[in-house]
Amino acid sequence: MTEQSNTKSNTGGGPMAAISLPVPEELRDTVTLTTVDKAVEFLSRLVDPVANWARSNSVWPLTFGTSCCAIEMMCVGMSAFDISRFGSEVFRATPRQADLIITAGTICRKMAPALITLYEQLPEPKYVIAMGACTVTGGMFNDSYSVVQGVDRIIPVDVYLPGCPPRPEGILDALIKLQQKIRTESLAERRRRAYRQMPVRYVDYDTGRPLEDVVREAQLETALALAGEEPEGASV
Amino acid sequence: MSEQQAPGKPAEVELEPGQFGQFLAEHGIPSRRLSDSSGVETIELEGKHLEQAVKRLRNSPETKLDFLVAVSGVEAADTFDSVYHLWSYSNQSELVIKVRVPKSDVPAGHLPMVPSIAPFWKAADWHERETYDLVGIRYVGHPYLRRILNPWDWEGHPLRRDYRQPVDALNDKSPGSFR
Amino acid sequence: MSTELLKTSGLKTDEMIINMGPQHPATHGVLRLLLTLDGEFVKHCEPVIGHLHRAQEWQGQNRTWFQYQALIDRVDYLSGMFTSWALAKAAERIDGLKLPLRAEYMRVIVAEMNRISSHLLWLGTYLIDLGAMFGFPFYPFREREKLLDLFEAIAGQRMMFNYIRIGGVQREAPPGWFAKLKQFTQEFPDRVDEYEAIVTKNPIFLKRTKGVGILGKELAMEYGVTGPSLRAAGVNFDLRKFKPYSVYDQLDFEVPLGEGEGDTWDRYMCRVKEMRQSNEIIKQCLAKIPGGTSEELRERRRQCNSCGKDDCPNCGGDLRIMVKKQNAGLRIKAGEGFDAVESPRGILGCYIVSTGGDTAYRFKWRNPSFSNLSVLPALLVGHPIADIMAIFGSLDVILPDVDR
Repeated sequence: MTEQSNTKSNTGGGPMAAISLPVPEELRDTVTLTTVDKAVEFLSRLVDPVANWARSNSVWPLTFGTSCCAIEMMCVGMSAFDISRFGSEVFRATPRQADLIITAGTICRKMAPALITLYEQLPEPKYVIAMGACTVTGGMFNDSYSVVQGVDRIIPVDVYLPGCPPRPEGILDALIKLQQKIRTESLAERRRRAYRQMPVRYVDYDTGRPLEDVVREAQLETALALAGEEPEGASV
Repeated sequence: MSEQQAPGKPAEVELEPGQFGQFLAEHGIPSRRLSDSSGVETIELEGKHLEQAVKRLRNSPETKLDFLVAVSGVEAADTFDSVYHLWSYSNQSELVIKVRVPKSDVPAGHLPMVPSIAPFWKAADWHERETYDLVGIRYVGHPYLRRILNPWDWEGHPLRRDYRQPVDALNDKSPGSFR
Repeated sequence: MSTELLKTSGLKTDEMIINMGPQHPATHGVLRLLLTLDGEFVKHCEPVIGHLHRAQEWQGQNRTWFQYQALIDRVDYLSGMFTSWALAKAAERIDGLKLPLRAEYMRVIVAEMNRISSHLLWLGTYLIDLGAMFGFPFYPFREREKLLDLFEAIAGQRMMFNYIRIGGVQREAPPGWFAKLKQFTQEFPDRVDEYEAIVTKNPIFLKRTKGVGILGKELAMEYGVTGPSLRAAGVNFDLRKFKPYSVYDQLDFEVPLGEGEGDTWDRYMCRVKEMRQSNEIIKQCLAKIPGGTSEELRERRRQCNSCGKDDCPNCGGDLRIMVKKQNAGLRIKAGEGFDAVESPRGILGCYIVSTGGDTAYRFKWRNPSFSNLSVLPALLVGHPIADIMAIFGSLDVILPDVDR
């Protein structure tokens, strides 16, 4: 006999997990929904196919073109390789109305804060296609002092699209892959923040060390300071 | 690949002054002729004569070099060169002016100083800012000498031979990089 | 003007500093404008550039000559042929190389095709900036797709061609290429008539561009502006006629000049007329190229079995397209030199300091957009915000060209 846990949801996270309905012993095997989480999960199982189909077929990108790949992005918006037949009817100028950033073009260190701001201004659910070799891993500027070596060092990326520049058909292929990804998502998991929101290779910008190291050091220092010991050295 | 031999010192042999060298000498500005840059007369001027020479070359009707094509900076073996390419909108003449500041004249921690021509020739404005940003030549008298291509708080001058990148992307051995 | 109204009405106004940030829908790249506004009118403007500084001059010092040729198309991505040509020309000037005529003609053909495609894209995006968001840009891009198909056939890439190299061009055109290009040149003037019919006499367009952003002769020459922006101001300075290089002195074409004082409408008309002239240049080159089309050349080479001798009448002399071996051992003599070409935006030049080693010692790119953009603060004063995009778009600035 399965046990319905009605005190603490084992799905983790969310303040709503604690709210649960008390179910008497004799009715336990007939009651399905005990927590709001489980309710949402149930609903999302019904709604997801329809909602995801609708969302995937109307992904509106942001007009974010830095350099050469932007020209191919313009060509994909024009009539020869029409992107609006895949749902991206308009390219929105403001991030508040877009749900996709196609980072078309090299991101330099001067531009990186602007890109991070733009990404944070996009409302959920949001996606990123890293277009072109410059944004995938730094591309041909892989030893340059002023180019961010891959945009996944600063924002999370869903689809990587190599090429220099990728052909317009390549952009359409990336968009199709993104649509397949969207169709396999689930509303409940997105609410639970199960989709990774951290950039893959997040690197502390000034020193180049992985961010986990920097965060761990900062946590150690805080712990020591709280425990009353002397902080070691100068604080970062 | 950047461990190259820098271009050596110019020839010690005195070259015949060319057309523009003679023109400047008539107006009392001494100059020294360097070997031609691929057929174009190249002269070397002292920093203190630069402003007067450029004004004369620009305004006199017989030379009329009124198109400043570029101002660039080159770090040679033992000098910092500020190179000015001058063309004309009305005749076919070309001239290359170099102002060389020996590295021995530059105290440690300071930048080589060259007088600026931006106050009277607006075309040099952004070019001198870029040379300051990338090569590190300080233009005295420039109205707004700030970094133009790199962020404002960047340290170092990237096109120098001894520039070390703060985060060396090529030799990055941290676990997050793909090297 | 409304500033006078404000003064007489007794209202006290204040200045506002507004940022037109690095990301804006005008697809010119990443430029940040710090505007000081008095109501709607611009009092001061400071462009902040460098958001696309990719260190390409530094890259030139760390790559061999053969590697660097492939990378410089990205300096001005809309006119990649011209950047390659500027590099090749400067290197050939230092080296003292003389190119065979067929190589020169091929360079002129692909360069003028690139000029047309760059102006077409400029036209489409300029109309988008002015507000004709949907509808018009599809027409220039239709022509551009035909040109990009031709580029893909000859160079292998739609945009980053890597075709013009030091010592000639990379490869011969495939069979059928010349015929397709000839067909394009015959259809193209009608297409330009189509665009002009929509735009040139359009009252909205005229109101937005006539009298707006007047760039006079003195201002342009003071700032070192070149290209169609300078010619619209009335200065007849086109490098192809002024210091003819390659085979331009054997070709018959006009250089369009602005008729008025150098406002936005003049710059637009200059570029449209330049597109027509480039079409004429391509037609003449197709007729005059030594060796004719690639099929004819193939027949001739079959007669001598592609012997490769310099004085062979069928495959040597002026019928070659490359005179320097393109491999990792590509070297230039020691020396320095500056040379320039007339790109769609202006004078694009390359100053090379070479020491004879496997890399150059110093590369300096003289980009036309760098100087053309520096005149923007002087042009924008006194105009309302709505004119900013009209003026900036008409200067035809490409940001990687500015930032390198």
